[in-house]
Amino acid sequence: MSKASELHHTGLIGSQPQPDDTVQAKIAYAEEGFSTAWLIAPATIWLILFLVVPLLSIVVFSFWENTPEGLVPAFSLEFYGEYFFTKGFFDPESDRFLLPSVFIRTLGSTVYFTLVTMLLCLIVGYPIAYFLAMQVQAFKWQLALFLLCMVPFWTSYLIRAVAWLPMLGRRGLINQALLGMGIVDKPVSFLFYSEFGYTMALVQIYVVLGIGPIFFSLAKIPKDILEAATDMGATPFQIFREIIGPMSLPGVAIGMIFIFVMIMGEFATAVVVYGGKTSTAGTVILNYYGIANYPFAAVNALMLMLAMVVGIVVILRIVDIRKEL
Amino acid sequence: MTVKNGVKKNGGASLSMSRRKFMGTAAGVAAAGSITGFPNIVQAADPIRTIGLGVSIINEIQGKAAKDLGFKIRGQALGYGALFGKTLNQNDQYEVSECYFDMFDVMIPSGVFQPIDTKRIRDWDKVSNLTKTGMLTPGSQVGQGDAPVRQLWVDENGKRAKGPSRYISALPGWHNADSLGYNPDDTGRPIESWAELFNSDFKGRVALLNIPQVGAMDAAMGMEALGLIKFGDKGDMTKPEIDTLVDFLIKKKKEGHFRAFWETFGQSVNLMVSGEVALQSMWSPAVTAVNAEGVPCIYASPKEGMRGWHGAISISKKATGKKLDQAYEYLNWWLDGWAGAFVARQGYYMSTPANTKKHLPADEWDFWYEGKPAAKELPDPFGTPLVNKGQVRDGGSYEQRFKKIAVWNSIMTENDYLVKRWTEFLTA
Repeated sequence: MSKASELHHTGLIGSQPQPDDTVQAKIAYAEEGFSTAWLIAPATIWLILFLVVPLLSIVVFSFWENTPEGLVPAFSLEFYGEYFFTKGFFDPESDRFLLPSVFIRTLGSTVYFTLVTMLLCLIVGYPIAYFLAMQVQAFKWQLALFLLCMVPFWTSYLIRAVAWLPMLGRRGLINQALLGMGIVDKPVSFLFYSEFGYTMALVQIYVVLGIGPIFFSLAKIPKDILEAATDMGATPFQIFREIIGPMSLPGVAIGMIFIFVMIMGEFATAVVVYGGKTSTAGTVILNYYGIANYPFAAVNALMLMLAMVVGIVVILRIVDIRKEL
Repeated sequence: MTVKNGVKKNGGASLSMSRRKFMGTAAGVAAAGSITGFPNIVQAADPIRTIGLGVSIINEIQGKAAKDLGFKIRGQALGYGALFGKTLNQNDQYEVSECYFDMFDVMIPSGVFQPIDTKRIRDWDKVSNLTKTGMLTPGSQVGQGDAPVRQLWVDENGKRAKGPSRYISALPGWHNADSLGYNPDDTGRPIESWAELFNSDFKGRVALLNIPQVGAMDAAMGMEALGLIKFGDKGDMTKPEIDTLVDFLIKKKKEGHFRAFWETFGQSVNLMVSGEVALQSMWSPAVTAVNAEGVPCIYASPKEGMRGWHGAISISKKATGKKLDQAYEYLNWWLDGWAGAFVARQGYYMSTPANTKKHLPADEWDFWYEGKPAAKELPDPFGTPLVNKGQVRDGGSYEQRFKKIAVWNSIMTENDYLVKRWTEFLTA
């Protein structure tokens, strides 16, 4: 046993086996040659070309000027000022005194919708993942049911969003049922093109992104630990609080990061299911792109990205996902 | 002449062309030239590139032009924003931009186009007065905003000029006038004023176009019709006017007046077909599409007038030499009538109605341009039945429709401010 523990060291991503001499020799060989470099080259080139360069160009564009003659390279902070400050912000007389700019408010409401959806996804998704991992015993059934969760992804995103109309619309299934049963005498409209419908659609579309990682982290919990706890007289609640909950946290965090990133950049659902009745950070970018004001669209894109980075850092601060890996 | 004959006639022309193609490219092209009355282009030429919206960039249109002209025309259909951006920032990426006169407050000062010499436009005399004087028929109302007549005339350097002059900023193309579409079963009465857009009878059953520049104008028409404000120029609002308008819209939105905001043609059709809205700002062909789904929908002719828009075919400043000649050929082709007949079947009008008439069977001309009941079932541009026998085009005849344009699509001086406040409206 002691020999085995000596073979472990704490690496970046948790406990790793200590490589023995032959492994080290192989690593040395790899470092001398170029095989590793070749392996990562395609991904690196791909990312540099299609991620780093576009990203840098967004940063560069955000400082350009938008003149009647088109875009002019410059170092202008005009659009950053536009983003953060509203006329009358510092003026106690103004009705806009200390009212954040519409862009900050839009980003704020985007974050709010995202957090609400994340919470709902957790409430809905966790029990599903729990059921799959803990209650379904046979692996083939676990897999089958998990794939079933993925079925909506077989259709296009837009179809999933549009499909709510026949369900929730004025002439949709639910309204027909309510009318038919005499519960209402005219169609209710809060179901669709509403905050309710919007949130529901977001949860339905993105909850699977949460179920996956939570399922995997739950499935990794050794069953004998749970049995041991039961034998020691722990109540189901205690087992959940002391063992299952903490051990599934990394999966929860990863799932939440997926959902967070997706919904922060969301704009199509707002148009299709909310009827365009709200702005998200994404629709603002789209609007300014639409009038060819690329610098301001770039500023908005950068601020959205910044908000996403902050969000991810916060999630990672709360949960140490390295345990998961 | 029947429609079938018309289709056959076109088909016949193309058949004879393809037959002749076997006789050799040069002879074939020459023959095509003689069939359609275009000057022969003996040499096979390089392709030219044209960009535009889906309204005018349609495979059938550019394909037919290429066949007639003897050189390839690469069309790229873009969204409005992308078309605007590419036209403004990348004029080396196209020879022709099939854009719109409402973009020209930006495009003319930017100098991305070259002035078009009307002496090189064969049918310039046949282009109607709608763009030349602003009045299709004497005594018509020019309308506020970026009326084509205010954007058309330039000097040989492309600077704005007092018309008529020899040079124009762009060749007038297809156009239409939009208003409100409504389901008569839902409204229970005819809609005859823009004011109805804000009538609380339709609370929660109204949709508005979510392109700030255009949606704001529709809303302004409504507010003005209600007598709440008198705009100096709805096509060029001042900041206080924009504030008044948007504050009013925010109030209405908070009351739950709007069911949705739509951005694309398809969305507006969906809203009506699914019964979500009773009344909304709408584009004319969308009303036809709703009817084709079997849902009643009427295109209102508000007493205040309609909101017009006008296509503008422009040539990039970067086009020179042979490409420039080809661009001119393409522009001339647009006016020749075939394209006019094609877009007529989508509900759009062309700047050379006399030429269009030559290419439209009488039944179709009467329906689309004269506002008469369809004498028989009429097809869309692709030959699919679209209009039932006896159906009448809403909005009346071409002349009636364009007699009273209240305002033209425009980009305002305060566009950035408008977009900002519009964002606020949507966030509210």
